[in-house]
Amino acid sequence: MSEFAIPVVGRPVAVPSSPLCPLDPQTDAGEGQWLPRDLARRLCHVLDVAGQVVERLAREGFIDSVEPGNNVPPEKVVSETAFLLLAASTANRHEHVRTRVEKVARLLIPHARSERMLLGACLEPALALDFAQAHICLSRLGYRDEAFDALLRRSLVSQARFGRERAPHRMLEQEWLYATWRNPPGQSRGTPRAALQSVLGRPMDLLNGHRDDIYAFTHALMYVTDWNLKPRALPRARAAILADAEAALARCLDEQDYDLAAEVLLAWPLTGQSWSAAAAFAFRVLARVEDEAGFLPAPSTRLQRLNTLKGAARSAYLLATAYHTIYVMGLLCAAALQPGRTPPAQVPTGAAAPDSAALIVPFLSRRSPKANPVPDVPRSGEPVAEGSHWWGEFQRLNAVERDALAVLLLNIALRRKVVQRDFGGLRDLLKAAYAAGLADSPAASQAAELLERVALLVRLPAPLR
Amino acid sequence: MSNRVSHQDVVKKLLDTKSVDFAAVGKAVAELGPSLAVADEPWDIFCGTMRTFFHCYIITVGGTVESLPELRGAAGELQ
Repeated sequence: MSEFAIPVVGRPVAVPSSPLCPLDPQTDAGEGQWLPRDLARRLCHVLDVAGQVVERLAREGFIDSVEPGNNVPPEKVVSETAFLLLAASTANRHEHVRTRVEKVARLLIPHARSERMLLGACLEPALALDFAQAHICLSRLGYRDEAFDALLRRSLVSQARFGRERAPHRMLEQEWLYATWRNPPGQSRGTPRAALQSVLGRPMDLLNGHRDDIYAFTHALMYVTDWNLKPRALPRARAAILADAEAALARCLDEQDYDLAAEVLLAWPLTGQSWSAAAAFAFRVLARVEDEAGFLPAPSTRLQRLNTLKGAARSAYLLATAYHTIYVMGLLCAAALQPGRTPPAQVPTGAAAPDSAALIVPFLSRRSPKANPVPDVPRSGEPVAEGSHWWGEFQRLNAVERDALAVLLLNIALRRKVVQRDFGGLRDLLKAAYAAGLADSPAASQAAELLERVALLVRLPAPLR
Repeated sequence: MSNRVSHQDVVKKLLDTKSVDFAAVGKAVAELGPSLAVADEPWDIFCGTMRTFFHCYIITVGGTVESLPELRGAAGELQ
Protein backbone atom coordinates (compact mmCIF):
# COMPACT_ATOMS: atom_id res chain seq x y z
CA MET A 1 0.00 0.00 0.00
CA SER A 2 1.27 3.43 -0.83
CA GLU A 3 2.38 5.47 2.11
CA PHE A 4 0.02 8.14 0.87
CA ALA A 5 -2.99 5.90 0.79
CA ILE A 6 -3.13 5.53 4.54
CA PRO A 7 -6.61 4.85 5.82
CA VAL A 8 -6.17 6.86 9.01
CA VAL A 9 -6.93 10.17 7.33
CA GLY A 10 -10.19 11.36 8.73
CA ARG A 11 -9.58 9.75 12.08
CA PRO A 12 -8.56 12.17 14.83
CA VAL A 13 -4.91 11.84 15.77
CA ALA A 14 -3.67 13.45 18.94
CA VAL A 15 -1.00 16.10 18.49
CA PRO A 16 1.99 14.87 20.47
CA SER A 17 3.34 17.03 23.21
CA SER A 18 6.50 17.94 21.41
CA PRO A 19 9.12 20.55 22.20
CA LEU A 20 8.80 21.47 18.54
CA CYS A 21 5.85 23.80 18.96
CA PRO A 22 6.50 25.43 22.31
CA LEU A 23 3.45 27.38 23.24
CA ASP A 24 3.74 30.62 25.07
CA PRO A 25 2.61 29.62 28.56
CA GLN A 26 0.90 32.97 28.91
CA THR A 27 -1.45 32.32 26.00
CA ASP A 28 -4.32 29.97 25.52
CA ALA A 29 -3.14 26.71 23.99
CA GLY A 30 -5.88 26.75 21.36
CA GLU A 31 -4.99 30.20 20.05
CA GLY A 32 -1.33 30.35 21.04
CA GLN A 33 1.49 31.81 19.06
CA TRP A 34 4.87 30.25 18.52
CA LEU A 35 7.01 31.02 21.52
CA PRO A 36 9.18 34.09 20.72
CA ARG A 37 11.91 32.71 22.96
CA ASP A 38 12.17 29.68 20.71
CA LEU A 39 12.33 31.86 17.59
CA ALA A 40 15.08 33.92 19.19
CA ARG A 41 16.98 30.74 20.08
CA ARG A 42 16.85 29.60 16.47
CA LEU A 43 17.98 33.02 15.26
CA CYS A 44 20.87 33.05 17.74
CA HIS A 45 21.99 29.67 16.44
CA VAL A 46 22.03 31.06 12.91
CA LEU A 47 24.01 34.10 14.03
CA ASP A 48 26.55 31.83 15.69
CA VAL A 49 26.95 29.99 12.39
CA ALA A 50 27.30 33.36 10.67
CA GLY A 51 30.28 34.14 12.88
CA GLN A 52 31.95 30.95 11.67
CA VAL A 53 31.06 31.71 8.08
CA VAL A 54 32.68 35.14 8.27
CA GLU A 55 35.82 33.82 9.91
CA ARG A 56 36.30 30.92 7.51
CA LEU A 57 34.79 32.02 4.18
CA ALA A 58 34.62 35.82 4.01
CA ARG A 59 38.21 36.34 2.89
CA GLU A 60 38.59 33.81 0.09
CA GLY A 61 35.17 32.27 -0.35
CA PHE A 62 35.11 28.57 -1.13
CA ILE A 63 36.44 26.79 -4.19
CA ASP A 64 35.45 23.17 -4.70
CA SER A 65 37.62 21.57 -7.36
CA VAL A 66 35.55 18.38 -7.28
CA GLU A 67 32.08 19.94 -7.45
CA PRO A 68 32.39 23.47 -8.85
CA GLY A 69 28.69 24.01 -8.21
CA ASN A 70 29.60 24.40 -4.55
CA ASN A 71 31.87 27.36 -5.23
CA VAL A 72 31.00 30.43 -3.20
CA PRO A 73 32.62 33.78 -3.99
CA PRO A 74 33.53 35.90 -0.97
CA GLU A 75 31.28 38.75 -2.11
CA LYS A 76 28.26 36.45 -1.79
CA VAL A 77 29.20 35.35 1.71
CA VAL A 78 29.82 38.90 2.86
CA SER A 79 26.66 40.36 1.30
CA GLU A 80 24.36 37.62 2.55
CA THR A 81 25.78 37.84 6.05
CA ALA A 82 25.20 41.59 6.09
CA PHE A 83 21.62 41.11 4.91
CA LEU A 84 21.06 38.55 7.66
CA LEU A 85 22.37 41.01 10.24
CA LEU A 86 20.06 43.75 9.01
CA ALA A 87 17.09 41.40 9.20
CA ALA A 88 18.11 40.06 12.61
CA SER A 89 18.47 43.61 13.94
CA THR A 90 14.69 43.96 13.79
CA ALA A 91 14.65 41.48 16.67
CA ASN A 92 17.20 43.44 18.69
CA ARG A 93 14.86 43.70 21.65
CA HIS A 94 16.05 40.18 22.43
CA GLU A 95 19.37 40.77 24.14
CA HIS A 96 20.99 37.55 22.95
CA VAL A 97 20.12 38.47 19.38
CA ARG A 98 21.43 42.02 19.75
CA THR A 99 24.78 40.97 21.19
CA ARG A 100 25.30 38.44 18.40
CA VAL A 101 24.37 40.94 15.70
CA GLU A 102 26.94 43.34 17.10
CA LYS A 103 29.60 40.64 17.35
CA VAL A 104 29.16 39.38 13.80
CA ALA A 105 28.91 42.92 12.43
CA ARG A 106 32.33 43.77 13.86
CA LEU A 107 33.76 40.61 12.35
CA LEU A 108 32.22 41.50 9.00
CA ILE A 109 33.26 45.15 8.71
CA PRO A 110 36.81 44.57 7.37
CA HIS A 111 35.45 42.23 4.70
CA ALA A 112 32.55 44.49 3.74
CA ARG A 113 34.96 47.36 3.17
CA SER A 114 37.92 45.36 1.94
CA GLU A 115 40.13 46.41 -0.92
CA ARG A 116 38.31 43.87 -3.08
CA MET A 117 34.95 45.56 -2.43
CA LEU A 118 36.37 49.05 -2.89
CA LEU A 119 38.00 48.06 -6.16
CA GLY A 120 34.76 46.52 -7.40
CA ALA A 121 32.74 49.62 -6.59
CA CYS A 122 35.42 51.79 -8.19
CA LEU A 123 36.13 49.84 -11.39
CA GLU A 124 32.61 48.62 -12.19
CA PRO A 125 30.14 51.42 -11.42
CA ALA A 126 27.23 49.41 -12.83
CA LEU A 127 27.92 46.91 -10.05
CA ALA A 128 28.80 49.48 -7.41
CA LEU A 129 25.68 48.87 -5.32
CA ASP A 130 26.28 45.12 -5.50
CA PHE A 131 29.81 45.49 -4.16
CA ALA A 132 28.53 47.96 -1.57
CA GLN A 133 25.64 45.82 -0.32
CA ALA A 134 27.34 44.75 2.89
CA HIS A 135 28.64 48.28 3.49
CA ILE A 136 25.10 49.64 3.04
CA CYS A 137 23.54 47.12 5.42
CA LEU A 138 26.20 47.80 8.02
CA SER A 139 25.70 51.54 7.61
CA ARG A 140 22.00 51.13 8.27
CA LEU A 141 22.92 49.24 11.43
CA GLY A 142 24.94 52.26 12.52
CA TYR A 143 28.42 51.16 11.42
CA ARG A 144 29.12 53.96 8.97
CA ASP A 145 32.19 54.60 6.80
CA GLU A 146 32.48 57.99 5.13
CA ALA A 147 35.34 56.99 2.84
CA PHE A 148 33.37 54.12 1.31
CA ASP A 149 30.37 56.45 0.95
CA ALA A 150 32.47 58.98 -0.94
CA LEU A 151 33.67 56.39 -3.44
CA LEU A 152 30.16 54.99 -3.83
CA ARG A 153 28.74 58.46 -4.47
CA ARG A 154 31.28 59.00 -7.24
CA SER A 155 30.50 55.67 -8.88
CA LEU A 156 26.76 56.30 -8.76
CA VAL A 157 27.03 59.55 -10.70
CA SER A 158 29.17 58.02 -13.42
CA GLN A 159 27.88 57.54 -16.97
CA ALA A 160 28.18 53.77 -16.71
CA ARG A 161 26.12 53.56 -13.53
CA PHE A 162 23.06 52.05 -15.28
CA GLY A 163 25.15 50.11 -17.79
CA ARG A 164 23.84 46.71 -16.87
CA GLU A 165 20.46 45.28 -17.85
CA ARG A 166 18.63 43.55 -15.03
CA ALA A 167 15.53 41.46 -14.46
CA PRO A 168 12.74 43.27 -12.52
CA HIS A 169 13.55 41.62 -9.19
CA ARG A 170 17.18 42.64 -9.63
CA MET A 171 16.04 46.18 -10.47
CA LEU A 172 14.12 46.13 -7.20
CA GLU A 173 17.26 45.02 -5.42
CA GLN A 174 19.14 47.99 -6.84
CA GLU A 175 16.36 50.39 -5.84
CA TRP A 176 16.26 48.87 -2.37
CA LEU A 177 20.02 49.15 -1.95
CA TYR A 178 19.99 52.77 -3.04
CA ALA A 179 17.08 53.65 -0.76
CA THR A 180 18.70 51.79 2.13
CA TRP A 181 21.92 53.67 1.59
CA ARG A 182 20.23 57.09 1.36
CA ASN A 183 17.73 56.09 4.08
CA PRO A 184 15.56 59.20 3.64
CA PRO A 185 13.35 60.18 6.57
CA GLY A 186 9.65 59.39 6.54
CA GLN A 187 7.71 56.46 5.19
CA SER A 188 8.08 55.23 1.63
CA ARG A 189 4.89 55.21 -0.38
CA GLY A 190 3.67 53.82 -3.67
CA THR A 191 4.52 50.71 -5.61
CA PRO A 192 7.90 50.56 -7.34
CA ARG A 193 7.51 50.38 -11.11
CA ALA A 194 9.77 47.33 -11.29
CA ALA A 195 7.46 45.53 -8.84
CA LEU A 196 4.61 45.80 -11.36
CA GLN A 197 6.83 44.17 -13.97
CA SER A 198 8.11 41.51 -11.60
CA VAL A 199 6.53 38.16 -10.83
CA LEU A 200 4.95 39.86 -7.81
CA GLY A 201 2.84 41.94 -10.16
CA ARG A 202 1.32 39.05 -12.11
CA PRO A 203 0.54 35.38 -11.52
CA MET A 204 3.45 32.96 -11.45
CA ASP A 205 3.53 29.85 -13.60
CA LEU A 206 2.68 27.61 -10.66
CA LEU A 207 2.77 24.28 -12.46
CA ASN A 208 5.69 24.51 -14.88
CA GLY A 209 7.68 27.45 -13.57
CA HIS A 210 11.34 27.15 -12.80
CA ARG A 211 12.99 27.40 -9.43
CA ASP A 212 14.39 30.74 -10.53
CA ASP A 213 10.86 32.11 -10.85
CA ILE A 214 10.17 31.37 -7.20
CA TYR A 215 13.52 32.85 -6.32
CA ALA A 216 12.56 36.03 -8.19
CA PHE A 217 9.24 36.11 -6.31
CA THR A 218 10.80 35.82 -2.88
CA HIS A 219 13.50 38.36 -3.54
CA ALA A 220 11.14 40.89 -5.08
CA LEU A 221 8.98 40.59 -1.98
CA MET A 222 11.90 41.15 0.37
CA TYR A 223 12.92 44.32 -1.45
CA VAL A 224 9.42 45.77 -1.82
CA THR A 225 8.58 45.20 1.83
CA ASP A 226 11.99 46.40 3.04
CA TRP A 227 11.84 43.97 5.88
CA ASN A 228 8.88 45.93 7.24
CA LEU A 229 11.18 48.86 7.99
CA LYS A 230 9.81 51.19 5.30
CA PRO A 231 7.56 48.95 3.20
CA ARG A 232 6.34 50.01 -0.22
CA ALA A 233 2.88 49.18 -1.51
CA LEU A 234 2.48 45.70 -2.99
CA PRO A 235 1.75 45.51 -6.73
CA ARG A 236 -1.18 43.14 -6.20
CA ALA A 237 -3.59 42.36 -3.38
CA ARG A 238 -1.95 40.49 -0.51
CA ALA A 239 -4.42 37.64 -0.90
CA ALA A 240 -3.47 37.15 -4.57
CA ILE A 241 0.24 37.18 -3.79
CA LEU A 242 -0.19 34.75 -0.92
CA ALA A 243 -2.28 32.41 -3.07
CA ASP A 244 0.67 32.17 -5.45
CA ALA A 245 3.00 31.77 -2.49
CA GLU A 246 0.94 28.84 -1.17
CA ALA A 247 1.34 26.95 -4.43
CA ALA A 248 5.07 27.67 -4.53
CA LEU A 249 5.37 26.63 -0.90
CA ALA A 250 3.68 23.31 -1.63
CA ARG A 251 6.20 22.57 -4.34
CA CYS A 252 9.19 23.54 -2.20
CA LEU A 253 8.03 21.42 0.74
CA ASP A 254 7.41 18.43 -1.48
CA GLU A 255 10.82 18.73 -3.13
CA GLN A 256 12.58 19.34 0.20
CA ASP A 257 13.83 22.63 -1.15
CA TYR A 258 13.98 24.22 2.29
CA ASP A 259 16.04 27.18 1.17
CA LEU A 260 13.21 28.34 -1.08
CA ALA A 261 10.48 27.10 1.27
CA ALA A 262 11.76 29.36 4.03
CA GLU A 263 12.07 32.26 1.60
CA VAL A 264 8.51 31.73 0.38
CA LEU A 265 7.29 31.60 3.99
CA LEU A 266 8.63 35.12 4.46
CA ALA A 267 5.67 36.24 2.36
CA TRP A 268 3.39 35.97 5.39
CA PRO A 269 5.25 37.96 8.04
CA LEU A 270 6.51 40.50 5.50
CA THR A 271 3.07 41.37 4.15
CA GLY A 272 0.77 41.21 7.16
CA GLN A 273 -0.13 39.60 10.43
CA SER A 274 -2.09 36.47 9.54
CA TRP A 275 -0.57 33.10 8.74
CA SER A 276 -2.58 30.66 6.65
CA ALA A 277 -2.96 27.04 7.66
CA ALA A 278 -0.46 26.00 4.98
CA ALA A 279 2.07 28.60 6.09
CA ALA A 280 1.75 27.67 9.77
CA PHE A 281 2.13 24.01 8.87
CA ALA A 282 5.17 24.68 6.69
CA PHE A 283 6.82 26.57 9.50
CA ARG A 284 6.31 23.54 11.74
CA VAL A 285 7.90 21.30 9.10
CA LEU A 286 10.97 23.51 8.78
CA ALA A 287 11.31 23.82 12.55
CA ARG A 288 11.13 20.07 12.99
CA VAL A 289 13.66 19.44 10.23
CA GLU A 290 15.94 22.01 11.82
CA ASP A 291 15.56 20.40 15.22
CA GLU A 292 16.25 16.90 13.91
CA ALA A 293 19.27 17.82 11.78
CA GLY A 294 20.63 20.52 14.06
CA PHE A 295 20.34 23.02 11.20
CA LEU A 296 18.05 23.54 8.24
CA PRO A 297 19.83 21.50 5.56
CA ALA A 298 20.14 21.77 1.81
CA PRO A 299 20.67 18.92 -0.67
CA SER A 300 24.09 20.34 -1.51
CA THR A 301 25.56 19.04 1.77
CA ARG A 302 26.50 15.46 0.97
CA LEU A 303 27.59 13.29 3.87
CA GLN A 304 29.61 10.91 1.74
CA ARG A 305 31.73 13.79 0.51
CA LEU A 306 31.91 15.38 3.95
CA ASN A 307 33.22 12.18 5.44
CA THR A 308 36.14 12.13 3.01
CA LEU A 309 37.32 15.49 4.33
CA LYS A 310 39.17 16.46 7.47
CA GLY A 311 40.18 19.56 9.36
CA ALA A 312 39.81 22.95 7.72
CA ALA A 313 38.72 21.46 4.40
CA ARG A 314 35.87 19.65 6.12
CA SER A 315 34.71 22.75 7.97
CA ALA A 316 34.89 24.87 4.86
CA TYR A 317 32.90 22.35 2.82
CA LEU A 318 30.24 22.02 5.51
CA LEU A 319 29.86 25.76 5.96
CA ALA A 320 29.94 26.56 2.26
CA THR A 321 27.28 24.02 1.32
CA ALA A 322 25.03 24.63 4.33
CA TYR A 323 25.25 28.27 5.28
CA HIS A 324 22.78 29.74 2.80
CA THR A 325 19.81 27.62 3.86
CA ILE A 326 20.75 28.13 7.50
CA TYR A 327 20.71 31.88 6.93
CA VAL A 328 17.28 31.77 5.33
CA MET A 329 15.89 30.08 8.46
CA GLY A 330 17.42 32.95 10.40
CA LEU A 331 15.71 35.47 8.13
CA LEU A 332 12.40 33.70 8.66
CA CYS A 333 12.77 33.63 12.44
CA ALA A 334 13.77 37.31 12.45
CA ALA A 335 10.67 38.23 10.45
CA ALA A 336 8.51 36.04 12.69
CA LEU A 337 9.86 37.86 15.75
CA GLN A 338 8.55 41.21 14.55
CA PRO A 339 5.55 42.43 16.56
CA GLY A 340 2.34 40.80 15.39
CA ARG A 341 4.09 38.60 12.82
CA THR A 342 4.60 35.44 14.90
CA PRO A 343 3.21 32.21 13.43
CA PRO A 344 0.58 30.26 15.30
CA ALA A 345 1.84 27.24 17.17
CA GLN A 346 -1.02 25.12 15.83
CA VAL A 347 -2.43 24.89 12.33
CA PRO A 348 -5.41 27.28 12.11
CA THR A 349 -8.58 25.32 11.40
CA GLY A 350 -11.08 28.07 10.69
CA ALA A 351 -11.24 27.30 6.96
CA ALA A 352 -11.26 23.51 7.27
CA ALA A 353 -13.90 21.74 5.17
CA PRO A 354 -14.87 18.39 6.73
CA ASP A 355 -13.27 15.33 5.10
CA SER A 356 -11.64 17.41 2.33
CA ALA A 357 -8.11 16.13 3.02
CA ALA A 358 -9.22 12.53 2.63
CA LEU A 359 -10.52 13.37 -0.84
CA ILE A 360 -7.14 14.65 -2.03
CA VAL A 361 -4.73 12.24 -0.33
CA PRO A 362 -5.34 9.38 -2.82
CA PHE A 363 -4.14 11.66 -5.62
CA LEU A 364 -0.75 12.05 -3.99
CA SER A 365 0.35 8.64 -5.18
CA ARG A 366 2.83 8.59 -8.02
CA ARG A 367 0.30 7.61 -10.62
CA SER A 368 -3.46 7.40 -10.65
CA PRO A 369 -4.89 3.99 -11.48
CA LYS A 370 -6.80 5.47 -14.38
CA ALA A 371 -3.86 7.46 -15.67
CA ASN A 372 -3.44 7.59 -19.41
CA PRO A 373 -0.48 9.87 -20.00
CA VAL A 374 0.21 11.36 -23.37
CA PRO A 375 2.94 9.23 -24.95
CA ASP A 376 6.30 10.65 -25.93
CA VAL A 377 5.97 13.68 -23.70
CA PRO A 378 9.25 14.06 -21.82
CA ARG A 379 9.14 14.09 -18.05
CA SER A 380 11.35 16.20 -15.89
CA GLY A 381 12.52 14.91 -12.48
CA GLU A 382 9.59 13.51 -10.57
CA PRO A 383 9.21 14.87 -7.06
CA VAL A 384 9.82 12.73 -4.04
CA ALA A 385 6.76 10.79 -2.99
CA GLU A 386 7.85 8.69 -0.04
CA GLY A 387 9.46 9.71 3.19
CA SER A 388 8.78 13.42 2.80
CA HIS A 389 9.32 15.38 5.96
CA TRP A 390 6.08 17.27 5.40
CA TRP A 391 4.20 14.01 5.25
CA GLY A 392 5.60 12.93 8.60
CA GLU A 393 4.45 16.20 10.11
CA PHE A 394 1.07 15.90 8.43
CA GLN A 395 0.55 12.54 10.08
CA ARG A 396 0.95 14.19 13.47
CA LEU A 397 -2.08 16.42 12.91
CA ASN A 398 -5.63 15.72 13.93
CA ALA A 399 -8.40 15.35 11.36
CA VAL A 400 -9.59 18.95 11.48
CA GLU A 401 -6.05 20.26 11.04
CA ARG A 402 -5.56 17.93 8.09
CA ASP A 403 -8.74 19.22 6.50
CA ALA A 404 -7.45 22.76 6.93
CA LEU A 405 -4.52 21.74 4.72
CA ALA A 406 -6.61 20.33 1.89
CA VAL A 407 -5.61 23.13 -0.50
CA LEU A 408 -1.94 22.52 0.31
CA LEU A 409 -2.44 18.84 -0.52
CA LEU A 410 -4.21 19.86 -3.71
CA ASN A 411 -1.32 22.12 -4.71
CA ILE A 412 1.17 19.30 -4.11
CA ALA A 413 -0.92 16.83 -6.07
CA LEU A 414 -1.44 19.25 -8.97
CA ARG A 415 2.28 19.83 -9.30
CA ARG A 416 3.02 16.09 -9.15
CA LYS A 417 0.47 15.29 -11.84
CA VAL A 418 1.90 17.94 -14.14
CA VAL A 419 5.49 16.85 -13.60
CA GLN A 420 4.47 13.24 -14.27
CA ARG A 421 2.58 14.38 -17.39
CA ASP A 422 -0.37 12.45 -15.93
CA PHE A 423 -3.08 14.54 -17.56
CA GLY A 424 -5.80 11.98 -16.94
CA GLY A 425 -4.94 12.02 -13.25
CA LEU A 426 -4.88 15.81 -13.36
CA ARG A 427 -8.40 15.88 -14.76
CA ASP A 428 -9.65 13.47 -12.08
CA LEU A 429 -7.94 15.50 -9.38
CA LEU A 430 -9.48 18.76 -10.55
CA LYS A 431 -12.88 17.14 -10.70
CA ALA A 432 -12.57 15.92 -7.12
CA ALA A 433 -11.24 19.29 -5.95
CA TYR A 434 -14.09 21.13 -7.61
CA ALA A 435 -16.66 18.82 -6.02
CA ALA A 436 -15.07 19.45 -2.63
CA GLY A 437 -15.07 23.22 -3.11
CA LEU A 438 -11.25 23.38 -3.17
CA ALA A 439 -10.66 24.45 -6.76
CA ASP A 440 -10.81 28.18 -6.19
CA SER A 441 -7.04 28.59 -6.29
CA PRO A 442 -4.63 29.91 -8.92
CA ALA A 443 -2.89 26.53 -9.27
CA ALA A 444 -6.19 24.76 -9.91
CA SER A 445 -7.18 27.43 -12.40
CA GLN A 446 -3.85 27.10 -14.23
CA ALA A 447 -4.26 23.33 -14.26
CA ALA A 448 -7.66 23.70 -15.93
CA GLU A 449 -6.12 25.97 -18.57
CA LEU A 450 -3.37 23.41 -19.13
CA LEU A 451 -5.93 20.67 -19.73
CA GLU A 452 -7.73 22.89 -22.22
CA ARG A 453 -4.50 23.43 -24.14
CA VAL A 454 -3.66 19.72 -24.10
CA ALA A 455 -7.13 18.89 -25.38
CA LEU A 456 -6.66 21.38 -28.21
CA LEU A 457 -3.24 19.95 -28.99
CA VAL A 458 -4.61 16.43 -29.24
CA ARG A 459 -7.25 17.58 -31.73
CA LEU A 460 -4.67 19.18 -34.05
CA PRO A 461 -3.79 17.30 -37.25
CA ALA A 462 -0.78 15.03 -36.83
CA PRO A 463 1.72 17.01 -38.99
CA LEU A 464 1.25 20.02 -36.74
CA ARG A 465 2.11 18.03 -33.63
CA MET B 1 38.74 35.69 -11.38
CA SER B 2 40.34 32.83 -9.59
CA ASN B 3 37.11 31.26 -8.42
CA ARG B 4 35.48 31.18 -11.83
CA VAL B 5 35.11 27.71 -13.32
CA SER B 6 37.22 27.29 -16.42
CA HIS B 7 35.43 25.78 -19.39
CA GLN B 8 38.66 24.12 -20.45
CA ASP B 9 39.18 22.62 -17.01
CA VAL B 10 35.73 21.10 -17.04
CA VAL B 11 36.19 19.64 -20.49
CA LYS B 12 39.63 18.29 -19.63
CA LYS B 13 38.33 16.68 -16.46
CA LEU B 14 35.56 14.97 -18.41
CA LEU B 15 37.95 13.81 -21.10
CA ASP B 16 40.32 12.45 -18.47
CA THR B 17 37.55 10.25 -17.11
CA LYS B 18 37.50 8.53 -20.52
CA SER B 19 33.76 8.15 -20.02
CA VAL B 20 33.09 9.23 -23.60
CA ASP B 21 33.99 6.44 -25.99
CA PHE B 22 34.93 8.40 -29.07
CA ALA B 23 35.78 5.26 -30.98
CA ALA B 24 32.25 3.96 -30.44
CA VAL B 25 30.77 7.32 -31.42
CA GLY B 26 32.87 7.32 -34.58
CA LYS B 27 31.73 3.80 -35.40
CA ALA B 28 28.08 4.82 -35.07
CA VAL B 29 28.64 7.86 -37.27
CA ALA B 30 30.32 5.69 -39.85
CA GLU B 31 27.37 3.32 -39.87
CA LEU B 32 24.62 5.93 -39.89
CA GLY B 33 26.28 8.69 -41.87
CA PRO B 34 25.77 7.45 -45.43
CA SER B 35 22.06 6.76 -45.04
CA LEU B 36 21.42 9.96 -43.09
CA ALA B 37 23.24 11.97 -45.74
CA VAL B 38 20.53 11.15 -48.27
CA ALA B 39 17.63 11.17 -45.83
CA ASP B 40 14.72 13.63 -46.12
CA GLU B 41 15.93 15.55 -43.07
CA PRO B 42 19.68 15.68 -43.59
CA TRP B 43 20.26 18.31 -40.94
CA ASP B 44 19.91 15.75 -38.16
CA ILE B 45 23.25 14.08 -38.81
CA PHE B 46 26.55 14.30 -37.06
CA CYS B 47 28.68 15.55 -39.90
CA GLY B 48 28.42 18.53 -42.12
CA THR B 49 26.18 20.66 -39.94
CA MET B 50 26.56 23.23 -37.22
CA ARG B 51 24.30 21.28 -34.95
CA THR B 52 25.69 20.35 -31.53
CA PHE B 53 25.02 16.83 -30.38
CA PHE B 54 27.13 16.73 -27.26
CA HIS B 55 26.23 19.19 -24.57
CA CYS B 56 28.07 19.53 -21.30
CA TYR B 57 26.38 21.26 -18.39
CA ILE B 58 27.35 22.12 -14.86
CA ILE B 59 24.36 20.88 -12.92
CA THR B 60 23.71 21.89 -9.37
CA VAL B 61 23.08 19.06 -6.96
CA GLY B 62 19.41 18.22 -6.84
CA GLY B 63 17.52 15.57 -5.00
CA THR B 64 16.67 15.57 -1.37
CA VAL B 65 18.45 16.39 1.80
CA GLU B 66 20.48 13.72 3.56
CA SER B 67 19.30 11.73 6.59
CA LEU B 68 18.48 14.22 9.34
CA PRO B 69 19.95 12.19 12.23
CA GLU B 70 23.18 11.74 10.29
CA LEU B 71 23.34 15.44 9.51
CA ARG B 72 22.94 16.10 13.22
CA GLY B 73 26.28 14.42 13.71
CA ALA B 74 27.89 17.21 11.76
CA ALA B 75 25.78 20.05 13.14
CA GLY B 76 28.11 20.68 16.06
CA GLU B 77 30.90 21.55 13.65
CA LEU B 78 28.98 24.56 12.38
CA GLN B 79 29.50 26.55 15.56
